[in-house]
Amino acid sequence: MENSPPLVELIDVSKRFGRFIAVDNANFSLAKGSVLTILGPSGCGKTTLLRMIAGFESPTSGEIRINGEPVQAVPPYRRSIGMVFQNLALFPHMTAGENVTYPLKMRRFPPQDIPELVERYLGIVRLTGMKDRRIHELSGGQQQRVAIARALSFNPDLLLLDEPLSALDKKLREEMQLEFRRIQQKIGVTTINVTHDQREALVMSDEIIVMADGAIQQSADPVSLYRHPSNMFVASFIGLTSLVKGTVVQTEGTTVEFNVDSTILCGNAGSRFEVGQSVEGAIRAEQVRIHPEQTRPEEMDNVLEGVVSEQIFEGDRMVYQVQCPSLGSTPIFVFDHDPTHHVLHRKGDSVVLSWNVRDLLVYPCR
Amino acid sequence: MTGTRSKSFVLWAIVWFDLILLSLPTIIIIGASFTTGDIVQFPPEGFSLKWYGKLWLLDDFKAAFFRTLYVSLICTAVSIPAGTLAAIGLARYRIHFQTSLQVYLLLPFTIPLVVSGLGMMIFFGDIRILGQLWPVGISLCIINLPFMIWAVSASVNGLDYQLENAAANCGAPPLQGFLTVTLPGVMPGVITGALLMFILAFNEFLVSLFLTDARTVTLPVSIYNSIRSVITPDLAAVSVVYIVIAFIAVLLLDKLVGLELFLKSK
Repeated sequence: MENSPPLVELIDVSKRFGRFIAVDNANFSLAKGSVLTILGPSGCGKTTLLRMIAGFESPTSGEIRINGEPVQAVPPYRRSIGMVFQNLALFPHMTAGENVTYPLKMRRFPPQDIPELVERYLGIVRLTGMKDRRIHELSGGQQQRVAIARALSFNPDLLLLDEPLSALDKKLREEMQLEFRRIQQKIGVTTINVTHDQREALVMSDEIIVMADGAIQQSADPVSLYRHPSNMFVASFIGLTSLVKGTVVQTEGTTVEFNVDSTILCGNAGSRFEVGQSVEGAIRAEQVRIHPEQTRPEEMDNVLEGVVSEQIFEGDRMVYQVQCPSLGSTPIFVFDHDPTHHVLHRKGDSVVLSWNVRDLLVYPCR
Repeated sequence: MTGTRSKSFVLWAIVWFDLILLSLPTIIIIGASFTTGDIVQFPPEGFSLKWYGKLWLLDDFKAAFFRTLYVSLICTAVSIPAGTLAAIGLARYRIHFQTSLQVYLLLPFTIPLVVSGLGMMIFFGDIRILGQLWPVGISLCIINLPFMIWAVSASVNGLDYQLENAAANCGAPPLQGFLTVTLPGVMPGVITGALLMFILAFNEFLVSLFLTDARTVTLPVSIYNSIRSVITPDLAAVSVVYIVIAFIAVLLLDKLVGLELFLKSK
């Protein structure tokens, strides 16, 4: 059987605005039917990347292929791409139904098929009966759904989402993430989603690309990305992570010992290090155990004494910020999920922290 | 307690003073137009509509009125495409010499009307169209165009700049996207600007004074000419017709787009 080409393919794509490099040599390909999320802080170039795929910007160099065909010469209105814009960009002078009808008219669908398609897609986004509402008469969540229906009604090859959920409040945002997932699975449309919200990326995607400063940092499925971040940026961007800087004193297999201030920590090295090299260690807050003073945790590789400097109650968990004198001024963050018997550590309490070697990820210093 | 009361008293006094000051000329003219006497006076002598009745008999004023209407319609018709496209272009696209262009388009506003009028008179004389009516409409369009551009700009700036991309994404080629999305979006500004242009042209005096002669005289100029001979209450009646037309335009504006946008656009 012949392998079909990837639906979207970026080959060495760069975009410069004057001297500013918005996208730096991006490469990736996306198989038909999957959901890709481009995750990164604002200004990392993720929206520019999306706008190049949509055709609103053209790459300074490199090539974008859709269905195996280069699309440089194809204007946006001839690309089979539906897009949900960050601010939705619904047509304010039209009703919900007219908004969904618009792409069908512009793309010359047979007029007799249009009303049925509009009904069908309004049904899919659960807005049946809202056809004649004006846009400003709809709630934020409903407007969101109209925008999705408009982007999907003409059955595009590709759906682009430019942070459309960022303006919603947390509860509605989480509802809409699941809603997107439901609609995507129902229709099976290939989707590229852009966001700075790591939770959204983890919930919605088959694959995640992390971007920073215009460059792709890592491309992986959500689980691998979370468990095996390939560099310091990815490790610190996803999850609540504490960072410690030090100098390598010994390496043995994948274990590396490095000196931080007045102590030596053991960590898990992704690459080979030289003795004397500057490194950074990253430990996720949920991998650190916190114990009352004088308890000696067993079977833990790194054990440190510290003082609670901040204590934040988040309902389902407690977040502690702990200062360890042996690490200098770097704080360590700890999640404590223990609903049955919270041993509350107050601000100023002495505590003992511990974690396993495999959970402290060591990267070369940037 | 006393402080607040005296403050509110002072505020109200100022508001009423301003209101009276602003509307006094209008009230006097309206009052005077209903007089039964033969001279313009306030308060009027008795009450009658005889001067309004006589208006229809004054062929000079009637002809001048229709000429003014014609000139105003030309001015409005030219300013709608010119002002709309200029405003959208200046607000949306990165154009070379954008600032210079902006200044150039707003220039007529900064030049004294006497100078504009004189300049246009000389120019129209040179190209031998002085004495015709339509160039007056064009001139009024030129000197008032900044108002049209401002009104449309306010609408363009309020319009989501992504809408055109959204239209393209939906499959609309640029021209179609412009006609179906951009233009309806700026319509409130276009309507506001068009009504404003109409009223301004309808009332314009100074430039028209330079550009018209006895055969092409417009209503404001015609009124001015009669003041210099005999002042009769029919002048007051003509003025009231003027006020009514302006008032209708404002009502129309409120009905079509709401006065809120009109006030915000300034």
